[in-house]
Amino acid sequence: MMIERIELATPDRRAGSKLNLEGLTKTFGAGAEAVQALAPTDIAVTEGEFLAIVGPSGCGKTTLLNIVAGFETPSGGCAVLDGRPIEGPGSERGVVFQQGALFNWMSVLENVAFGPRACGVAPDAARESAQAMLEKVGLGGFVENYPYQLSGGMQQRVGIARALVNDPAILLMDEPFAALDQQTRELLQEEVRGMWRETGKTVLWITHSIEEALFLASHIVVMTARPGRVKAAFRCRFSESPDLLVASTPEFTAAKREILGLLRSESEAAQRQESMI
Amino acid sequence: MSRTDILAEGEAYDAGTTERKATRRDRWLTGTTFLAFFLVWVGVTGAGHWPPLIRPIFLPSPLAVWQAFLALLEHGYQGNSLWYHVGISFYRFAFAFSSCVLIGVPLGLLLGMNRTARAILEPPIQAIRPIPKLALLPLFLIWFGIGNTSKIIIIAAPVFPLIVIAAMQAVRSVSTKKIQAARCLGAGNWTVFSRVVLPACLPGIFTGIRMAISIAVTMLVAAELTATSDGIAWMSLTAAEFLSTDIVLVGVVIMAVLGFSLDRMIRAIELRIVHWSGHE
Repeated sequence: MMIERIELATPDRRAGSKLNLEGLTKTFGAGAEAVQALAPTDIAVTEGEFLAIVGPSGCGKTTLLNIVAGFETPSGGCAVLDGRPIEGPGSERGVVFQQGALFNWMSVLENVAFGPRACGVAPDAARESAQAMLEKVGLGGFVENYPYQLSGGMQQRVGIARALVNDPAILLMDEPFAALDQQTRELLQEEVRGMWRETGKTVLWITHSIEEALFLASHIVVMTARPGRVKAAFRCRFSESPDLLVASTPEFTAAKREILGLLRSESEAAQRQESMI
Repeated sequence: MSRTDILAEGEAYDAGTTERKATRRDRWLTGTTFLAFFLVWVGVTGAGHWPPLIRPIFLPSPLAVWQAFLALLEHGYQGNSLWYHVGISFYRFAFAFSSCVLIGVPLGLLLGMNRTARAILEPPIQAIRPIPKLALLPLFLIWFGIGNTSKIIIIAAPVFPLIVIAAMQAVRSVSTKKIQAARCLGAGNWTVFSRVVLPACLPGIFTGIRMAISIAVTMLVAAELTATSDGIAWMSLTAAEFLSTDIVLVGVVIMAVLGFSLDRMIRAIELRIVHWSGHE
């Protein structure tokens, strides 16, 4: 079996977890206006896992990532990384945004060197590691350009390089390829797959694309409509396949059907919520 | 390098050359507008070759204005040289304007960053803004006398709140994502401010400054309306009393040139510093 249902928050997984989310909830607003974005959510991620979270729009998956990143505080429960509770943003958690988070007033090299500089690395050393990281993502020839001069795909490479250069303990990706065209997205997905295998980084990846999740992730979480909670979790082995065209195999299609079935009813619920507003 | 990225690069190049061609065409059209305007002026005033459609007392010919300018250069106006009048006006304008920028921009940034400061200072600034500042002129004369102080203050009165609010709005509209990105890269408060918030604000601040220039030039005329005996606007105003329309026009042109060249100068600085303007 290429995918199998598992429990994500077993005592075993918790014990050896890199990132541990326990009873995490988030409510926006107060009183009659209050909207619960996240119902109690339990997820344990162990070192080196690539956990993709899929769910209908507005299910709180971005809220979940924002809490782990430290941009938002949970209303209840706790998020713990490497044994330390998460309080505010920190350089040990690298974040890649969908788009629009690069600094247009800095060259590509300065953008990537920003992290090491902010963490106290000397200017020369910071530029050197930025240069090396940019070469790794195939942008060695664009270091002097400004982000707005690059295509969307190249901008996302800069975003990834910028997050990786700090060597974070975990990489948080918030639908990083959602705004790209199909070809660019597939290319970058292949590269991320290779990069993850090479570095063994722990990754938390938010997406609305089931194919993307199946192709990249070692673990997949399906979330319910708002308020979001874990509906089902899977161990997924397609990312281990050396075949880049694994997405066209019957097993892949069967796995996609299974998750799509789970997601369909949630998407309908999400639609109803939206039309009620 | 992926194929799609290279394609995108090529498209960007083509867009660049088309853009340059369009800019050249725009310049031509702008030049033609000015030329047409000038020719109409020559036409209706006769230029000495045919009887003027408009009498010189209402609209002197370009030549007459030029001659008036040369005469003013040589003999000055009412006891002072033309340069003295230009200089004193420029001093009032420049002092008021640069004080507004030097104090207003940091204050606006503070208001944008700090909720407490905003609660204390924004309502009074917003309350003062809609008051027509010309109405305050008599009050300023009583408070600050007839010297340069009252003139500088009347120029600064509308410019200052405009610049403060432009800077404040610029801070408020900095994308949260960029600040979050800086924070999760390890940046502290000062780094976030100096390397992210401040540069991100610059386009908005420059827009505010350029908008303020035309208002400041207008207020210069108001400042020299009463209780003065020098300045370029005062020269125009008193010349009008004697129906010396040519001198009035010399003053008008000098003030127009002042406003226009300042705007161009700041635009040039803006293009140099804020090269990413228009790209969020």
